[in-house]
Amino acid sequence: MEPVTMAKAINLSLRDALAGDDDVLVFGEDVGTLGGVFRITDGLQKAFGSDRVFDTPLAESAIIGICIGLALRGFKPVPEIQFDGFIYPAFDQIVSHVAKYRNRTGVSMPITIRVPFGGRIGAVEHHSESPEAYFTHTAGLKVVAPSTPGDAYALLQSAIADPDPVIFFEPKARYYLKEEIDTAKEVPIGQARVARGGSGVTVIAYGPTVGIALDAAKAAEKENISLEVIDLRSLSPLDMPTILASLQKTHRAIVVHEAPVFGGFGGEIVARIADDGFDLLEAPIARIGGMDTPYPPARYEKLYLPDVDRILEAADLALAYG
Amino acid sequence: MADVVRVVAADDPVRPLFSPAGELTADARGTLGLSPDELRDLYHKMVWIRRTDQEALNLQRQGELGLWGPYQGQEAIHVGTVAALRPTDWIFPSYREFGMGMCRGIDPAEMLTLFRGLSHGPWDPRRYHFAPLVIPVASQVPHAVGMAMGSRFKHGDDVVLSTFGDGATSKGDWHEAMNFAGVFRAPVVFLCQNNRWAISVPLAKQTAGSIAERAQGYGFPGIRIDGNDVLAVLAAVRAAAARARQGDGPYLIEAMTYRMGPHTTSDDPTRYRSETDLERWNVKDPIPRYREWLQGQGLIDEASLAAINREVETAVEATRNRLKSAPVPAAGEAIFGRVYQHPPDSFLEERQEFESSLESN
Amino acid sequence: MADQTFRLPDLGEGLTEAQLVAWRVQEGAHVDVNAPLCDVETAKAVVVIPSPWAGTVQKLHARPGDSVAVGAPLVTIAAQGAPASAEPAAEAAPSTLVGYGPGGPEAGIRRRARVAPSAAVEPSTDVRAAPFVRQMAKEKGVDLAQVTGSGPGGRITKADVDSAAAPAAAASAPSTDGERRISVVGIRKAIARQMVRSVSTIPQFTEFAIFDATNLMAAREQRKASGRPMTPLPYFIAGVVKAVRAYPLMNSSWDESRDEIIVKQPINVGVAVNTSQGLLVPVLRGADKLELEAIAEQSAHLVDGARAGTLPPGQMSGGTITVTNVGASGPVETGTPIINPPECCVVAFGAIKPRPMVVNGQVLARSGAWISISVDHRIVDGALATEFLTALVAELESIRA
Repeated sequence: MEPVTMAKAINLSLRDALAGDDDVLVFGEDVGTLGGVFRITDGLQKAFGSDRVFDTPLAESAIIGICIGLALRGFKPVPEIQFDGFIYPAFDQIVSHVAKYRNRTGVSMPITIRVPFGGRIGAVEHHSESPEAYFTHTAGLKVVAPSTPGDAYALLQSAIADPDPVIFFEPKARYYLKEEIDTAKEVPIGQARVARGGSGVTVIAYGPTVGIALDAAKAAEKENISLEVIDLRSLSPLDMPTILASLQKTHRAIVVHEAPVFGGFGGEIVARIADDGFDLLEAPIARIGGMDTPYPPARYEKLYLPDVDRILEAADLALAYG
Repeated sequence: MADVVRVVAADDPVRPLFSPAGELTADARGTLGLSPDELRDLYHKMVWIRRTDQEALNLQRQGELGLWGPYQGQEAIHVGTVAALRPTDWIFPSYREFGMGMCRGIDPAEMLTLFRGLSHGPWDPRRYHFAPLVIPVASQVPHAVGMAMGSRFKHGDDVVLSTFGDGATSKGDWHEAMNFAGVFRAPVVFLCQNNRWAISVPLAKQTAGSIAERAQGYGFPGIRIDGNDVLAVLAAVRAAAARARQGDGPYLIEAMTYRMGPHTTSDDPTRYRSETDLERWNVKDPIPRYREWLQGQGLIDEASLAAINREVETAVEATRNRLKSAPVPAAGEAIFGRVYQHPPDSFLEERQEFESSLESN
Repeated sequence: MADQTFRLPDLGEGLTEAQLVAWRVQEGAHVDVNAPLCDVETAKAVVVIPSPWAGTVQKLHARPGDSVAVGAPLVTIAAQGAPASAEPAAEAAPSTLVGYGPGGPEAGIRRRARVAPSAAVEPSTDVRAAPFVRQMAKEKGVDLAQVTGSGPGGRITKADVDSAAAPAAAASAPSTDGERRISVVGIRKAIARQMVRSVSTIPQFTEFAIFDATNLMAAREQRKASGRPMTPLPYFIAGVVKAVRAYPLMNSSWDESRDEIIVKQPINVGVAVNTSQGLLVPVLRGADKLELEAIAEQSAHLVDGARAGTLPPGQMSGGTITVTNVGASGPVETGTPIINPPECCVVAFGAIKPRPMVVNGQVLARSGAWISISVDHRIVDGALATEFLTALVAELESIRA
């Protein structure tokens, strides 16, 4: 297969899901005729008709709210929220209903909510946010964030097939990253991958920060520092066995995400390591992420976002602990 | 402006049944086509759900329920609505439609376990086509629209009824749902139970305009009717549902009624409303009104009224006893059992840890 | 006929008590199920309480005006007709099924006490070691209180435990031909790694100059006389900061991964300090924002902290340029410092000594010292380094008391 971008891989995955199951519906703002503002749904309405792939009015709460009724009727809705910063009007529907409806009724909610997220695209306000922690904090949801075209394809297949609701975060800064993908490869929800083996320090990343972590590992190698990079892929559930296996080797960890560090998902990872891997640690665990500020204007985003130097500095510090 | 849907009289099969004041016309009342048994059954059901409401209030005062939200005064809507629909038509209630659930065949004792702190939703909605009671105001309205859109996509012949109170019409979800319904021409009947109070805030402080007339803005018709007349409710819902069933899209019914009791057992209405207001509505109480109408029509006599009361008393006592002996599900199952269909390993571990922590030492 | 006591339930989501307003029944009276028993006023409303049972009122447990706690007895009724089994739990437990009220036991369910962690708790001594190291020490039977830490701030490292666990003879056993093997751990290891990284990745060159320190020494004398003595170090740092301002490229790093030079905004001056543990480089952050007095105060604090091993790791990272002293005493004049990666430049100051200098064509005895700078040649060429060094010398020579 020719190398494809992550955007195309997600498009293919939606296409295969629509073709494989008549109950799959794709909808949201501008996803029909236009094919989505990122063209993720390009050509799908033409291929599957406007009863299966359709534009909705500009109303995020209803976009998610109708999913409940559709799922009760047996559909598998795959709504798109256009940008991370526009998910908040739908927050009540996601938290009060999508996450809790099965607990209330016993009826499963196979809903996959696609959300482009993260920064580094030079955008205006509300277009570069990382709201994942709000959702990992909500019982009843599963939360995933692929970082490669192949994982995006496979993880979306798993998400749509899953009988439980999944928030599917797409790192938009990596939409145009290309690789060959194997559509037969399965990626179950809840499985991290070791993106690069190493022995010195474990760098835990997901979505947009996996690339930065890999760059840092390459730079560190030149200084004879070995970083192991874990791509979580799934935030909730969290693959602790993979993290702990890495810490058995390195005894040091750095967590990297774009969201502000304070109250961020990294805190959960660190806490879980402290709970389950207390005796493995040789150094404090560093968290690298956004500052405790709103996402800055684009001109400053590179100063706000994690970068190679911050990871290397954290690695130096971790290694300084004997 | 050619794209704007203009609501025209020919598109409104409900309005001809009503006077401008929202009263069901005598002609319409005469052409409902209900048998005497069916007419008496409406009365029986209203008495039954009111008596169950009162019993639930007693049970709360006796410490058997944590909370209760009475619906006294709104029985005509509960009973008339369900009678107007097919059993396969979905109903998406808010939290006060206990009587509708009873009319749909859900065991009231089972439903009451929700207020006994045993479950968040004791019935399978698909069995009764009756969605769970939903507490966040108006948040259930988009669910109904989704179900109606699904019906259209599947070419089903069922329709959906979405019910909510006057307070719900202030919420964004209500607007978004109404708008979606109009755009997708979803087969859904919106039924506003305008009981004039959102806890303590009266209608005048809730909205400055007409609720029914808002439908025009969404491209479908709406009407305000007398919600304390069971036959008016039945006629309006039936006509609106038939219209939706044949593919003509949504309809908004604003049924005027009155919440005669407190918002819930934690409320004290004497703090915000007067006895005279209540007395004005006592006169319009849907149950005596309908009984008098049945008597006037010669459809019911003292003996059958007494028989109905006896039957209802027996049913209510049985409900009370079933509730008090309702099994208490095991804590592990109650807390963890229905969260996920495919629970993650870490979730199962937490459940196991919890359950083993309950083992007494 | 069994007596059953009805206890005040929680009437409204978390209430704890109610005031009895009035009884609607008297002792000895017959009541039916749901017959009004009494009016009570809670924090939320006045409500009528209906009887849960039919029977004869045996005892009223409160008087009008009394405050009754949720769960406290309200009325005892001799139940009529109903077999005791119909109300099995009525007497046994308060009927507050949903509310809680004060006191009442949680029937039936008891959470098992959490098992204490199996690991023995380390005595609270001054031992500083990471959890993993403590675990390892336990496994190897090493008493951490007897181990000297070689890590930051005297922390005991994994390697320290390893050497402590090995038979003493093996740790530094003289070999047959007289060699001694010293295990490289902690700061020694960190220094080694950092120096290898510097020399193997940075093409560096060194330039030398001598500066006339007569003015500097005069300024120091003057301060000393007024009771505010100051070492030369703050003057050196201030001079470097001023020269860096004129040549910001000296305050940068080479980003190999992106083929970029990162010019750093704040000037964070690392100060090389010789300690008993080895060379440490605490960092004076934002030195460009500090007056001489503040530089003196903070650098003294950093040097003392580094020697005492009390500085947190965060104060030993993030430098953008480093200053070091060679030959503060003794015969050594200068040396070739090695860059502290990822910085671009390191500045070494030699000892200030009286030396012959030519001033206005005459040989005079003046105070003077060597300065040497090592520079990353990827970033800076010789010409620029020379300009920087010239500016630095000019700064130091123009010090006024």
